[in-house]
Amino acid sequence: MDADEAIALISASGIELTDRRRNASNDGWSLSFANGSVVDVKDSGVLSASGNGAVEVARLLDLPGQS
Amino acid sequence: MRINMIATASVISAAMGGLSPASAAGYNDGHSNTLNLIDTVVVIYAENRSFDNLYGSFPGADGLQGVSDAALTQLDRDNTPLRELPPVWGGLTAKGVTPPVTQAETEHLANHPYRVDDPQGFNLPLGTITHDLWHRFYQNQMQINGGKNDKFVAYADSGAMVMGLWNGSKTAMWKVAQKYTLADEFFMGGFGGSFFNHQWLICACAPYYAHADTSPAKPSVAVVEPDGVSLTLAANSPKSAIDGIPKFAGDGNLTPDFYAVNTMQPPYQPSGNTPAKNADAATADPANPTTLPPQTEPTIGDMLSLKHISWAWYGGAWQDVLDHGNKTPVPNFQYHHQPFNYYANFAPGTAARTEHLLDGGLAGSQFIKAIDTGTLPQVAFYKPQGDLNEHSGYADIEAGDAHIADLIGHLEKSPQWPHMLVVVTYDENGGIWDHAAPPKGDRWGPGSRIPAIIVSPFARRGFVDHTPMDTTSILRFLTKRFELPTLHGITVRDDAVASYNQPPLGDLTSALDMTNSQ
Repeated sequence: MDADEAIALISASGIELTDRRRNASNDGWSLSFANGSVVDVKDSGVLSASGNGAVEVARLLDLPGQS
Repeated sequence: MRINMIATASVISAAMGGLSPASAAGYNDGHSNTLNLIDTVVVIYAENRSFDNLYGSFPGADGLQGVSDAALTQLDRDNTPLRELPPVWGGLTAKGVTPPVTQAETEHLANHPYRVDDPQGFNLPLGTITHDLWHRFYQNQMQINGGKNDKFVAYADSGAMVMGLWNGSKTAMWKVAQKYTLADEFFMGGFGGSFFNHQWLICACAPYYAHADTSPAKPSVAVVEPDGVSLTLAANSPKSAIDGIPKFAGDGNLTPDFYAVNTMQPPYQPSGNTPAKNADAATADPANPTTLPPQTEPTIGDMLSLKHISWAWYGGAWQDVLDHGNKTPVPNFQYHHQPFNYYANFAPGTAARTEHLLDGGLAGSQFIKAIDTGTLPQVAFYKPQGDLNEHSGYADIEAGDAHIADLIGHLEKSPQWPHMLVVVTYDENGGIWDHAAPPKGDRWGPGSRIPAIIVSPFARRGFVDHTPMDTTSILRFLTKRFELPTLHGITVRDDAVASYNQPPLGDLTSALDMTNSQ
């Protein structure tokens, strides 16, 4: 899954994208959402979620072990 | 003396048979003293429905009957009519809804509005959570396209979803609108989304991020065309709406001159952003690029306090989230729906916060308690918790509609009811199409048309009010009734509307007949 796909899935559930930028290690995108979650989308396709609301976005993204 | 004046006005009103916007304003201006009969004002602020989305077939309203085919037709990004609507990208129903309506099932819809609850079509009940849609500051202006409203599909992230409408006659609030007054020319105060329109409800202003170009938020400054209202398309943006969602060079939260127009997080808890390490636990990390610095513009709350008018913002689930954190799907509290939590005057630890930012309770229980016991302040704003606010993507219409109708039932039985005015409206259109052209205003709005229902013993009964209004009309009423200083943004808006030789925006009094008192 790439960043656009992750944004589409999360945004469709009413959780607005609030920030999108390259991550600190420049190997992917850091996406912030209105529920306080931050989704890291590596260029390799690996995803992880953190922050407030991480459980909800992990559920939406079907991330194993995070929901 | 007052009785004579009212009687005269009543005769004049009957003779007129109806009120043009200009005459309505003049009529009510002559009797503003009778507004003192209203002691309590309640504003209920739901989420994300255009007028046509719910009330497009309301009898007597400016709905879809009689709208020309051309006005129903959406254009592609190259200004040619779309041959059909693109599918709803990702499907019409939200994740987890069973059975789902998939993207494939939404292909080849004709290029005009459709009913998502059509028994011959998707046949979705009002209790269905559907796909959310972009509802953002610049996209909203691009979709409105100078009042033609023909680019909603072109600049959406949800394809055909923007043209999906409901049969609102099945809702409980439809019946409330039939009983009292439905305003059918009421527009959202600002372009775009919830964050911005909550600010417009309380401040009639655009929040500001000083020195954003040297702040963590710098990458969030939008890249805008010279027209000031259009985002610059990215080189790889699909040329046609049929081919995909538009891509922009920079679709951020801040204007190029650093006004915050899309969702930023409050600088105080509850906020989507956690505190900085070793910082005050009641704050949000200011180094987080989505934390808005504390705001200092005067709000309607400040104006009310100045005149010693009691008031409160009741946030549904406010205290539960402060005590226990947020949970989904219930209450699914929305941080950016609490506008006073962005202001230094209401920072944690201030007396003003304790007095004015109150817990609405889970499912509005604390708000309902105040209604039932007759202890509402003179002005009360109520924000339903997430699952009860009707927002696409995470809430359905049915639950929010039932909640608000239940509130109306409580309000009608409140000890304060005989001198009460209630306004039920939506913060914004949620990205959903509406055919009515907004009045031309200033750089911030008005945006798309939204429903507004005026409920009061003094409301005109069974009335559709065609007076042009927007969210700031609520502030206009409060300003007039309580003789408040006028917020700067209202003056700017009034001047802008007048500069286009349009009728002035109303102040809700056109929906009232002060002789109506039981």
